[in-house]
Amino acid sequence: MSAEIPTLTYVPTTCPYCGVGCGLNLVVQDGKCVGVEPYKRSPINEGKLCPKGATCWEFVHSPDRLTTPLIKKGDKFEKASWDEAFDLIAKKFKETSDKLGPKSLGFQVSCRTVNEDCYAMQKWARVAFKTNNIDNCARICHGPSVAGLSLCFGSGAATNPFEDVLNSDLIVLWGSNAVEAHPLAARRVIQAKKKGIKVVVLDPRYSPTARLADKWIRFNPSTHIALANSMMYWIIREGLEDKEFVKKRTKGFEDLKKTVEKYADVESITGVPTEKVKEFAREYANAKSAVIIYCLGITELTTGTDNVRSMGNLSMLTGNIGRPGTGVNPLRGQNNVQGACDMGAYPNVYSGYQKCEVADIRASMEKSWGMPAGSLPDWYGVTLTEQINQCGDPIKAMYILGLNPVVSYPDSNHVKASLEKLDFLVVQDIFWTETCEFADVVLPGACFAEKDGTFTSGERRVNRVRKAVDAPGESKIDYLVFAELAQRMGLKGFDWKTGKDVWDDMRACTPSMRGVTYEKMEKPESVHWPCPAEDHPGTPILHCEKFACADGLGNFFGIEYRPPAEVADKDYPYTLMTGRVIFHYHTRTQTDRCEVLHYEVPESYIQINTQDAKELGIKNGEKIKVRSRRGETITKARVTDDLAPKVLYMAMHFDKGANNLTNTALDPLSKMPELKHCAVAVEKIREA
Amino acid sequence: MTKKGDMLYAWTTDAEIQKKAELGGAVTALWKYALESKAVDAILAVTKGVDLYDAKPVIITDPKDLAKTAGSLHCGTLLMPKLIKKYLGGTKHTKIGVTVKGCDAMAFYELAKRKQLDLDRIIMIGVNCGGSVSPVIARKMIAEKYGVDPNVVHKEEIDKGQFIIEYEGGHKGISVDELEEAGFGRRSNCRRCKMKIPRQADLACGNWGVIGPKAGKATFVEVCSEKGAALLDGAVKKGILATEAPNPKGIEIRGKVEGAMLKLGDKWRKKDFEGLGDGKDRLNKIMSETSRCIKCYQCIDQCPICYCVDCTTKNPVYVPPGELPVNFMFHLIRYAHIADSCVNCGQCEEVCPAEIPNALFMHAQQVELEKMFGHVPGLDMELPLHAFVEEKAERARLANTHSDMIYENVFNPVPK
Repeated sequence: MSAEIPTLTYVPTTCPYCGVGCGLNLVVQDGKCVGVEPYKRSPINEGKLCPKGATCWEFVHSPDRLTTPLIKKGDKFEKASWDEAFDLIAKKFKETSDKLGPKSLGFQVSCRTVNEDCYAMQKWARVAFKTNNIDNCARICHGPSVAGLSLCFGSGAATNPFEDVLNSDLIVLWGSNAVEAHPLAARRVIQAKKKGIKVVVLDPRYSPTARLADKWIRFNPSTHIALANSMMYWIIREGLEDKEFVKKRTKGFEDLKKTVEKYADVESITGVPTEKVKEFAREYANAKSAVIIYCLGITELTTGTDNVRSMGNLSMLTGNIGRPGTGVNPLRGQNNVQGACDMGAYPNVYSGYQKCEVADIRASMEKSWGMPAGSLPDWYGVTLTEQINQCGDPIKAMYILGLNPVVSYPDSNHVKASLEKLDFLVVQDIFWTETCEFADVVLPGACFAEKDGTFTSGERRVNRVRKAVDAPGESKIDYLVFAELAQRMGLKGFDWKTGKDVWDDMRACTPSMRGVTYEKMEKPESVHWPCPAEDHPGTPILHCEKFACADGLGNFFGIEYRPPAEVADKDYPYTLMTGRVIFHYHTRTQTDRCEVLHYEVPESYIQINTQDAKELGIKNGEKIKVRSRRGETITKARVTDDLAPKVLYMAMHFDKGANNLTNTALDPLSKMPELKHCAVAVEKIREA
Repeated sequence: MTKKGDMLYAWTTDAEIQKKAELGGAVTALWKYALESKAVDAILAVTKGVDLYDAKPVIITDPKDLAKTAGSLHCGTLLMPKLIKKYLGGTKHTKIGVTVKGCDAMAFYELAKRKQLDLDRIIMIGVNCGGSVSPVIARKMIAEKYGVDPNVVHKEEIDKGQFIIEYEGGHKGISVDELEEAGFGRRSNCRRCKMKIPRQADLACGNWGVIGPKAGKATFVEVCSEKGAALLDGAVKKGILATEAPNPKGIEIRGKVEGAMLKLGDKWRKKDFEGLGDGKDRLNKIMSETSRCIKCYQCIDQCPICYCVDCTTKNPVYVPPGELPVNFMFHLIRYAHIADSCVNCGQCEEVCPAEIPNALFMHAQQVELEKMFGHVPGLDMELPLHAFVEEKAERARLANTHSDMIYENVFNPVPK
């Protein structure tokens, strides 16, 4: 009797999907993840999870996991030993760098993996090759937030915690479909609404989030600046600005005032009647505490940084920043998109946003990392999608950690053609992806359930990730891969054994993180950075006394409206917007391996207005062809009145899908491609 | 020899258990005996996770590990029976002892009716439960209403209508009524709960009614089954448990406490159910609240009534997949399948990311059905209304259509 009594272990950890950072318990039996159970002790989500979080254990033991290094020999990938792979990578990168210099290499860091991996990879790249060609995929989601908020407030991060919306009087969600993309942040909005706090959603689409709102303002896609300027025009015109705040805490007001004078009536641009703009402007200005929550609807445009700055302008003009219930909060997309930036996986900063261009900072990093004085470069490295453009010239060798550019970057055909031009490509991931096809070496990494580390959520809270099970086969914990590569190259300062070792290495050279210790992270409340000392409590709300700019003042910017790079015309008469569905995460490498998520949405679809569908003779559920100047895709029509006529909406998760169509035009300030707006044509597929 | 219906005071005589024991350590001693005598293979108990607000389940096979179990954790809101179904494969492989609250005990019966586990292979020691507080709410409540840093609290208890905390340098109690007025306090399902002494367990234990010299040093035990009697007698015979007849005044007090709690439960039911309105108003309220659903399926996953291998909510004929807002049929299916048997454990509401008062909706329907048909879920092995629906015809229909709908599994579970 009772020969084998089952075990039941809960490992509290952090969800691997979006930037909310929900706590959950991985259930472990006999060394395998067998389920997720609520972690009700987490102050972030109190045990509540979205469809993705609740099933996140399912992909961990997928038979499709990469389990050994693979090296391409001829046309075929062959299993290889780690020794072989390490030697080849070290040799190729060393050769390329010796011959062509630090600008011949590109390093692309994932926002899906732990801080420790991000720090380790950028440290290896910088120490070994003296390059700044390091970037992460924040570039194509919240790069404009980092750029825009830094310009306005001196810090590129969200200003207030998610739960703080409960202290607001007015919640503005602008270009954010939080219900699907950040469900447990949306839950805070639901709670707030139940408390009687007013919710306004601005979105061209009647999204599930718009359905939550007391007021939904539909505007024409990508006309944010005109709308915000018009609001500010009326706020100033009616004397509703917070004069004291503007005077004491900001500069540049006159520039703003002058610019917005031209924006009294913008209905022809935005489609929003002036009365409605006025009414909302008054509401926002008169609220005691109002918060703006925004997301990729704001950022993924060629005006991304300016859109973000417009949000900053609005908040400062009305004094809605630096207090509970106020602020400007980008909902960070990926679980660790905040962290990847914080860790210095960025072309112009080290960890904690210490600028590479500042000689003193370089000197201090050289000291921390045991490098000769003057060895770190001062130049601005090449950004994520620009690295793709530079494939072949001058970038010859590239290392991609946990990213799938072939599906997730704009203009898939261009990405593929570019990757072909590389001499040497390493892809490190947990599954075989479309990008692996272009690699010379594929390395098997470890997933969130297989390592100790941290994710930093969109509210700057550093959440612990805990090892529940061993990584499969010969796959390795990613920061140890970089440690071994570095050691193989004879570098010092990489003798890490644990996640904590890497974290402490980072802390030692990062003033804003110095007080964020693993010990403090044991409790699920953890710490919000900045936290400069161990006895510092952390900083849930930024900019309370002064802004993080050098002079302590917030900056207004007068910003003119610019249309998107490509607008609908005779040949491509429809505007395509892209976004997400709740049931999938990015390119579905993980979510599509969860049974129920695959069941819910197994293939791509496009939302099309009822009237348009009627004109084209398209029925709900019918497969249609959508073309842009860059490519085409075949997808299922979902006929709906959630969109205005001539506007289409498509989720970005699917291979050969939305990103066959999207535009690579870049935001000049942040290099964000215009993923949210392009012109397309729609065709009914005639039966043969 | 004790028998069903007996009541007594019990405490341990085991020196090791005494060191850590609350209320005389009777429950720990009973479990020790259950393990040593092989009455069970394992105990499923609750242990502290990161702190006393964090309840984690733990499987104990070595009596020495019983010290790890937590005593009462009012901030733990786990539901044990579904864990046994989900992760231990029911009771097929393991005979299990479980300390249960009212909702756990009721859930065990409902899962047993559905043949998901076998009550003959389970020993339940019931403990009185006046309700539990969700951990994050508890911490906020302690910070805001008590003015105490929740991290310095080392003990909490609910006694004489008060939620009491002990912390470095003091203790403080505030009445649960006052806390609940302020939006804190027990989970809303707990407020409506009327299963305060779980007598459908094998033994029903607690501190209500322990007065006189044994106050705080013994546990009040009511013997509720022959299995319970045997366990108790065995532990006494083994010499790790001592008992005495309870003070008759104590029995009276216990009855009064229970009565007061039941009355309070009625008060909350009235308030909550009236708040839902009637007829179309109620339907509209339910439709409007459930329209926020994001299809996480956690209400189903955590529900102790749900057990089907193929859930009807995943039948695309009824609920179109991949769509938000979710078709209302999703919720109608849940109501149709669960309402007659809902035990108001509250899990569906506590885990809901869309803040839908799921437990309230289901419980309100259960109470209506109970009024109409007299079936009370969770008390005994009496089958729910659904099980009596034209079984033969239903079976024939299923066989002919190869359907995977719910009734197929009621009497004959499909192996996974």
